[in-house]
Amino acid sequence: MKLLTKTTLNFLSITLFIFLFGIVAFYFLLRSQVDQNINLELDKRKASIIKQLNTTDSKNRIPPNPNERIIIDVLTENNQVPDIIYTDTLIFDVVQHRYIPFRKLGFIATHNDSKIYIRIFKSLEESDLLIVRIFLVLTAVVIALIVSLIIMNRITLQQSWKIFYNTIKSLSKYDVNKHEQFTLQESDITEFEDLNNVIQTMTNRINADYLNLKEYTENASHEIQNPLAIINSKMELLLQSSDLSENHYKAVVDAYEASNRLSRLNKTLILLAKIENRQFPQSEPVNLKLIIDNQLDLLEDILESKKIQTKNTIQTNYSVTMNPYLAEILFANLIKNAIRHNVEKGQIIIQQTANTIKIYNSGPVLKIYSKDLFKRFKKSSESSESLGLGLSIVKKICEVYDFHISYEYEEMHQFIVKFGD
Amino acid sequence: MKILIIEDEKTLSDSVVEYLTTEGHLCEAVYNFSEAIEKIELYEYDCAIVDINLPDGSGLEIIKKIKGNQISLGIIIISGRGSLENRIEGLEIGADHYLTKPFHLAELNAHLKSINRRINFSGHNEITANEIKILPEEHRAFVHDKELKLTKKEYDLLLFFISNKNRVITKISLAEYLWGDFMDTADSFDFIYTHIKNLRKKLLKLDCEDYIQTVYGVGYKFDLTIG
Repeated sequence: MKLLTKTTLNFLSITLFIFLFGIVAFYFLLRSQVDQNINLELDKRKASIIKQLNTTDSKNRIPPNPNERIIIDVLTENNQVPDIIYTDTLIFDVVQHRYIPFRKLGFIATHNDSKIYIRIFKSLEESDLLIVRIFLVLTAVVIALIVSLIIMNRITLQQSWKIFYNTIKSLSKYDVNKHEQFTLQESDITEFEDLNNVIQTMTNRINADYLNLKEYTENASHEIQNPLAIINSKMELLLQSSDLSENHYKAVVDAYEASNRLSRLNKTLILLAKIENRQFPQSEPVNLKLIIDNQLDLLEDILESKKIQTKNTIQTNYSVTMNPYLAEILFANLIKNAIRHNVEKGQIIIQQTANTIKIYNSGPVLKIYSKDLFKRFKKSSESSESLGLGLSIVKKICEVYDFHISYEYEEMHQFIVKFGD
Repeated sequence: MKILIIEDEKTLSDSVVEYLTTEGHLCEAVYNFSEAIEKIELYEYDCAIVDINLPDGSGLEIIKKIKGNQISLGIIIISGRGSLENRIEGLEIGADHYLTKPFHLAELNAHLKSINRRINFSGHNEITANEIKILPEEHRAFVHDKELKLTKKEYDLLLFFISNKNRVITKISLAEYLWGDFMDTADSFDFIYTHIKNLRKKLLKLDCEDYIQTVYGVGYKFDLTIG
C-alpha cells in the first residue's frame, strides 16, 4: 500500500468516526435545545392561558395560536389528575392525512371554581424541519471540508513525495555495470534531500570500489599473460629436449597442459572483462545469417565427426545492429554449446522470428538447474575440460545490447536470443 | 633468416631465441624501444617479432618506423593485450601476424615460415620435405609427384607439421592452430586424432614414409629422419 493511500485511509477513517459521533451528538444537542425552547414557549402559553381564563367567562373562548391546539377537559372528582408534564405525541391531521409530531403540556387550572385540565399541543413540524435543515447543511459543510482536506493533502504529499519516487526510480534503474553518472533530483524537503545525499555518496563509493576492483582484475589478468607466456615457452622447449626421463617428461606434459588451461581461462576472463567494460563500442548492422553460416562452416569437421545435422532457416537479409566481433563470439559460443552438449547423430536447428533467434539442440536432459546455466563456471560435469564460461560470455554480450537470452526445454534444448522488445 | 626480437621479458625472449636458433635462424634480441630503434636503423633484418607494450614506447611506433625504411620486412606482433583495436591497428600498419600472449612457439614458427616464403621466394616457391612437395600458393600437396587430395584442415595440418618438422608438437598447439580458441574441451583432441588418422592414411596410400609419430601423452612429431 502506498504511503499516500495509507495516510489518506487513516485520515478518512478517523474523520469519519469523529464525524459520525459528532453528528449524532450534535443531533441530540440540537434536539434538546429545541425542546427546551418549545417548553419555554409552552410555559409562556400556559401563563397566558391562565391569565385569559381569569378574565374570560367561557373557557372555550381562549383563542388558539397557529400551530397550536388546546384541549380543555373539565375534571370531575373521579378523574385522575395527571402531573404537569411535557411529552411528545403524534396527532392525526385530518387535512394533511398524516400524523404530525406535537409537544404537549398538560396542566390544571381553575375556571369559575371548577377545575379544568388544559392540554396545549404545539406542532413540532417546523422545528423538526429546521433541525433537519441545519443537520443537512452542517453535514454538507463537514463532508466538503473533509473532501477538500483529503484532496489538498494528497496534492501536497504527491508534490513532496515526487522526489522520493524519482529517487526510487533512479535507484531501481541503477546498474553499476552501466558506467552512467548517477544523479538525483534536488528536493526542498530536508528529509528527502538527506536521503538523496546519502544515496549519492553511497553510489559514488560503490562506483569507485567497483572501478577499482575491475581495474585490479584487468591489470592482474594482463600481467599474468607475460609469466604464462614464459612458462609455456619454457615447457615447449623442455618438451623438445631428448634427455628427459619418462617420469620427467610426464611431469612436464602435465604442467604444460595445466598452464595452457590457465592461459585459456585467463584469455576468456579478459574477454569477459572487456565486454563488461564496453570496449567494443562500434556497432553496425550485422547479417546474422552470414555470421551463423560462417560459424557452421568453421565447425564443419566437428559437426561431421559427431554426425550432427544442422538447419539454418534465418532469412538471408536478417540483421541486427551490434559489434560484428561480438556477434561472432555470441553465436560461436551458442553453436559450440549446441555441439558440445549434443548426442551422436543429433540435430541443431537455428530458427528466426521477427525479433528472436532460437537455437535448438537435441542433447540429453540437463544435469544442472536451468537457471544456473548462465552462471560462471557452471558445468554439466566436473570432469569436463570445458571452462564453463561460454554461456556467461553469451549472457554478458546480451546484457551489453539489452538483448534477452533465455533457455527452454521442449523435447529439444532451446536457447532464445530476443533482440529488443 | 635474420630475425630481430623486440620483447622486454628477457626470459620469454630467450625461449624464442632458443627455439628459432635451432630452426637455423639468426636471432638478435633487444629489450626496449630505444635499442630496437637503434638496431633497425643500423642493420637489416628479414623479420621482426615485436611486443606492443615496451617499457619506453609502443611497439606500434617501431613497426611504423620499420615499414618506413624497409617495406618487405616481415613482422609478427606478440602482445599481452589482445584487444581488437590493437590487432586491427597492428595489421593495418603492415604486420603479417598478431599473436596474443601466451602463444605457442610452434605457431610462431609456422608463421615465420610463411613470412620466409613470402620474402625469399615472393610466394612462388615449393616446400619439399623428402618425398613430400607442397605448393603453398595453390594449396596443393604432392607425394612422389602424385597429387595428394586433402581437405583444408588436413592441408593446414600437413603444412604445420612440415613447418615444425622433427619437433615435438603438442596437441594443444595443433588444436589452437587449426581451430583457434574453440578447442577447450577434452574431446576436441579426438578431432585432431581423426584428422591425423585421415592424413596419415592418405600419405601412406601414396607410398609416403610414415613420418607422423605419436609422442605419448604430448602430441605428435613429424619425423623426417625416419627412413
